[in-house]
Amino acid sequence: MQLGADSGSVRRKLIAASCALLGSSAARGDPGSITDQIGRLIEDWKFQSALAYYREDGRIQAIEPVISAVRDLSDGGKLAFNFTFDSLSGSSPNGALPSRLPQTFASPSARSFAAARHLYTVSPGRLPSDPDYSDARVAGGVDWTLPLSRLMRLSVGGKVSYEDDFYSATVSTAVERDFNDKNTTVSLGVSGEFDFLQPIGGAPTPLSDYALFEKGGHETKRGQALLVGLTQVMTRNWLSEINLSLDRFSGYLNDPYKIVSVLDGVGDPVSYVYENRPDSRTRRSVYLDNRVGWKRESAGLSLRYMTDTWGVHSDTAQFRLRWWTAGADQYFEPSVRWYRQSAADFYRPWIPQDGPQETYASADSRLAAFHALTYGLKYGIRLADHFGGFGREGTEFNVRLEYYQQTIQNGPAAPAALQGLDLYPSLKAVLFQIGFSY
Amino acid sequence: MLRYKWKLWSAIAAGCLMSAGCSSLGVKPWQRELLSRQDMQLDGSGLDDAIDDHMYFSKEASSGGRSFGGGGCGCN
Repeated sequence: MQLGADSGSVRRKLIAASCALLGSSAARGDPGSITDQIGRLIEDWKFQSALAYYREDGRIQAIEPVISAVRDLSDGGKLAFNFTFDSLSGSSPNGALPSRLPQTFASPSARSFAAARHLYTVSPGRLPSDPDYSDARVAGGVDWTLPLSRLMRLSVGGKVSYEDDFYSATVSTAVERDFNDKNTTVSLGVSGEFDFLQPIGGAPTPLSDYALFEKGGHETKRGQALLVGLTQVMTRNWLSEINLSLDRFSGYLNDPYKIVSVLDGVGDPVSYVYENRPDSRTRRSVYLDNRVGWKRESAGLSLRYMTDTWGVHSDTAQFRLRWWTAGADQYFEPSVRWYRQSAADFYRPWIPQDGPQETYASADSRLAAFHALTYGLKYGIRLADHFGGFGREGTEFNVRLEYYQQTIQNGPAAPAALQGLDLYPSLKAVLFQIGFSY
Repeated sequence: MLRYKWKLWSAIAAGCLMSAGCSSLGVKPWQRELLSRQDMQLDGSGLDDAIDDHMYFSKEASSGGRSFGGGGCGCN
């Protein structure tokens, strides 16, 4: 990004934007009471908030409040903040396969199998999962867009995220340029991410025996991304966008809590080892999005193809249709999403005891071959149209329900002892969300 | 592998064709009434997309494409 020649202009715009933000109420002359000042300050912002409840069938549940605030600045720029909190609890699969035998595992914080309070036993035929999983995440971000000229904009942003065992920071910048009477927009963006992992109980030595508790301290991960986008107004009711993205992550890319079963010739577990993934991953994707609108309806269709150096190829298609009622004050929005992916090259549901030595292995079902379907329905109502004194233009209440089902393709033929067991159970989840925009 | 490369290059070719035809596409400023509607904005479902992306990020091997990811998640 070349800022040298224009840095004075950028600095002036930065100062102007800061003054606009901090002095918005005082600039109106009569300061009034503090309540009035707060009211005026809020008046200049648009808020969106949502509370999502996510629940998997027999596994994780999560509650996620999200809020974002956006302000259009007087110089044509925009300032946006967002804040997210996640609270997760439930039962998280540890990677081991179901067995005809009971299996006993230790929670991540255990230092040995001696302390019974850190152990959990999984019944025959059940998917091994840590029953006491819980986590909380706090994340926040800011994005600032400022005009560089009548046709050009620069945006800079940052995000931070905090969990007990995971810290992440991302910075990004992008430049956009309009062409063709503002019907064409080309954008180019780059971002950098730094993650610090401090797994509970320590980061295990990859492929080490689970029973030996060989664990170290913290680990790090870095990522860089490049995004090139083209947005085009096709007709007076059709908008299209295509994005090409390339990103690369390097460092510690393992899931420190995932293990792989080592099976004997019959299919019974003889031990478990911690997973090991390659320490770098490069992904490429093409993303195409379209919006088509009519008087009382609008439709969105997005397609994505992604491939990476781990051997994962995925296709995604999502379709939404919004239908406004006759008064244009309420809408219904059904949606459907289809997704499929191939397995990572090193995906191993289990490792044969007498098989060749593996360099990389993971039984994480997220790296398996599967397809998934999501069905959704959203309803929204514009409150300003019903409660005139309550809201302003754009005030909306909405509620959304989604059902997600993931079906994993069967892996290699199972040994005799595993015949008849559901080794790859499907994942079913429901998402319920209420939202309020002001 | 050949099939995957074909898909990638087809999509890139579609983008090139789109950009090549851009000069003959588009509307005048007074024809943007429909395009200015909130439900016609490509980022108009901001919070819904963020919540969905977080769910898919934690359950699938692919993520992103629409915009920059980041913000992290040690998702299980």
